Amino acid sequence: MTRRLWTTSVLVVVVAMLVVACQATQPSPSPSAPAASEAPPASEAPPASEAPGSAAPPTGEALPAVPTGYTELDTALGPDKPYTGKRVTIQTQWIEGEGANFDAAVAPLEEATGIDVVQESIASQHEVVLRTRIGGGTPPDLAMLAQPSAVVEYGSRGETTNVATFMDPAKLGSDFSAGFGTALLSGDNGEIWGIPYKVDVKSTIWYPIKAFEAAGYAVPTTWDELKALSAKIVADGNGSPWCLGILDGAATGWIATDWLEDVMLRTAGIDAYNRWITHDLKFDSPEVRAALEVLAEEWFTDGYVNGGYQAITATDRLESWDPMFQPEPGCWMHRQATWLGPDFFPDVRAGGPGTQSQYVLGEDIGIMYFPQIDPAQGTPGLGAGDTLMVLVDDPDRPEIRAVAEYLATPYGLKAWIDIGSAQSANQTTPAEWYQSYKQQVAADIVGNSTSFGFDASDLMPPEANRAFWDGITAWIDSGGTGTDQFVQSVDAAWPQ
Amino acid sequence: MAIQSRDQAEVSAVRRFAPVLAALVGMAVIAIGVVILADRNAATNLLASIYEALGNTQGAADLERGVGDQLLAKVVLGLVALVVGVGGIWMLYIGVSAVVGLLSPRWQGRILPWVFVIPAIGLLTVYLIYPTIGTIVTSFTVQTNGDPLANYKQLATPQFIGIIGNNLIWLVVATGGSVLLGLLIAGMVDRVRREALAKTFIFLPLAISFIGASVIWRFMYEWNPPGQQQIGLVNAVWTGLGFDPVRWVQDQPANTYALILIFVWLQTGFAMVVLSAAIKGVSVEIIEAARLDGANERQLFLRVIVPIIRGSIITVTTTIAIVVLKVFDIIYVMTGGRYGTDVIANRMFIEFYEFFNDGRAAALASVLFLAVVPIMFVNVRNLRRQGVGS
Repeated sequence: MTRRLWTTSVLVVVVAMLVVACQATQPSPSPSAPAASEAPPASEAPPASEAPGSAAPPTGEALPAVPTGYTELDTALGPDKPYTGKRVTIQTQWIEGEGANFDAAVAPLEEATGIDVVQESIASQHEVVLRTRIGGGTPPDLAMLAQPSAVVEYGSRGETTNVATFMDPAKLGSDFSAGFGTALLSGDNGEIWGIPYKVDVKSTIWYPIKAFEAAGYAVPTTWDELKALSAKIVADGNGSPWCLGILDGAATGWIATDWLEDVMLRTAGIDAYNRWITHDLKFDSPEVRAALEVLAEEWFTDGYVNGGYQAITATDRLESWDPMFQPEPGCWMHRQATWLGPDFFPDVRAGGPGTQSQYVLGEDIGIMYFPQIDPAQGTPGLGAGDTLMVLVDDPDRPEIRAVAEYLATPYGLKAWIDIGSAQSANQTTPAEWYQSYKQQVAADIVGNSTSFGFDASDLMPPEANRAFWDGITAWIDSGGTGTDQFVQSVDAAWPQ
Repeated sequence: MAIQSRDQAEVSAVRRFAPVLAALVGMAVIAIGVVILADRNAATNLLASIYEALGNTQGAADLERGVGDQLLAKVVLGLVALVVGVGGIWMLYIGVSAVVGLLSPRWQGRILPWVFVIPAIGLLTVYLIYPTIGTIVTSFTVQTNGDPLANYKQLATPQFIGIIGNNLIWLVVATGGSVLLGLLIAGMVDRVRREALAKTFIFLPLAISFIGASVIWRFMYEWNPPGQQQIGLVNAVWTGLGFDPVRWVQDQPANTYALILIFVWLQTGFAMVVLSAAIKGVSVEIIEAARLDGANERQLFLRVIVPIIRGSIITVTTTIAIVVLKVFDIIYVMTGGRYGTDVIANRMFIEFYEFFNDGRAAALASVLFLAVVPIMFVNVRNLRRQGVGS
């Protein structure tokens, strides 16, 4: 009996010590270290990779001028701060640097209105957690989601708010561009189930500038030039043209579908592309097969992909471009969207969070436009973006609407834009806000685009999206011989 | 004498009312606990109010803003839940059983079993039976377009037949592998000197979660292009033997077996421990008699020991078979169901969370439930038979 008592007390002590130890490793909430959500945007250090001085100084006002065009936001910004002390929760998939950037973006609103915007960052399984919370009847007040098709699904189930009930649909319609506008988020009866927030330009290829110069390679501006460059890199014995790895756990496949979407826009054109999204153009069609042939040439030609085509589906996406950073690159080009950046560079990954990269965007690492293929289709752009959903619309809590309205204005992203790594979905955003190399490349692509397509797989029904991902993965593994199987499997998976 | 009897009266009064008091306190603790735990932000609010009481207003304000000692808040709430769940229920049981004890013996016998069983039945109904029925109803009513069997008809497509086929491969290979290996090792370690040490090594993986093991094995199966250094252990050994590296996770059909190996690695320890204990229970006289009759070691093991421990083997097999049928974590982490490795449980998850097909997910859950029931039945019957035998 005594022994058991001893064991029990020892256990209690050990547990207590563990709790204390865990506490000690938590950042202590000392007043001298303000929490991220309090930090004014000005104190955010610009990422070291941006050229010195390229990070924009905060331009202009941090808040939209009243009247903003939105009722609750005007009330919130009123002199008596009626919503002081109110708390609004928002679930996002942004962690660490991105999470801090979002906190910085809402900080001016918090300061001006006294509303406390609490970001609930879900590192992985953001969509699953969100679905569980919504299904369980305890949703966050607001949430960000990358798939417009899921936003519309929540809308059709009556689980998210039609923002047109409290925001002017005409203003929303004109504020957001055709590429990522309210049309993608609309219900059958004119409802608008979400508000576009942040966009990423996907038609971009990253490359090592200095190695390109040393080898005498020019940035290709047409597909023929790109093909010639690929052939030359291999002929020179300089490794492979492409750094390509699509392995991403349960999401494996999306990097390859992005490629196909970019090629489809360039070979079949925006009209065919949009019919493809709605399945009015089948996967088993000459257009899709022709686009696959374009891909096959770059992916399956011997020596064109680092490690051979078998490596594409077995290489982790985050490590796939590491050979590009070697003094003599093992591969030379990496097609990925503009969300990529120093946070994902190999030296920062090796050094852990907080490490400053030695590679400077625009000097060491450049970004080029994914070249034109068929001049008849012009110079299209491909993009994707995050959508804000209003999950709680309670007459007693108008502050939720106020926060949503703030995020609908360009100011809702301004601090993040100032840091140099975000593009607003709102096309009234002043062009001079975009100062960093990456933003200017992205702005140029958008500005020069003759048409702009939204990520097709994110707009297809989830079953089709999944079949698209799985199918293209299997197609790569087949070395391009399984084209029939691929296109037919996606067509078959389309919900009736 | 008078004083003593008054004492006795007091004691018996205390005896009489203490249990009632305990029952009341138990109910009160549970009620307070439910009130605390029902709050959506219970963790932060609880610690914040404690901080307020202690005068730490800064800490309380931080907590309410979503920063500060969030971990401690959760630990405190966990302790409250523990006190309420264990302490409250315990006192309630003591109290109620004592209250019943005040009744006449005849009524006691009738009521007491129910008093102890009803809370368990109630919780099972709320958390198990109601959701089960709800799931089955959902599978016939949601997203059916008027045909109640629509969700089940979709399971007859080649895609789902392939998935169910994978579950069968898992059922046979993973269960068989774990039990046979466990039996073999149990039989062998019975005769080695450092038995405990040997068993510990086999048993250790059981302490790792399926998720954790999958992450470990993702590194084990890592593939690098031929000619480059192989970081994954399996391919390092494989190429060391002169072969080309194999993409264990991607290449069909080897990948399903590569995933099954992870399961076998985890579960062999469980089979071994149970079967080893059973082997130890075989009486020495029987073994010696068999030896005297001229049985060699193989015959002794296969014809004497194995038949004697048959009950344990059935229990282990059925228990592992149920785990295998429900297998989800390994598939989810390693492939997400890609490359022809999908199984029912993973598909159910995908249909629900990714595709918003609540009806089809419910149909898959019902199929899985139906598949587990017969094995469960064998398992329970076997346990009962063993109980009767002992």
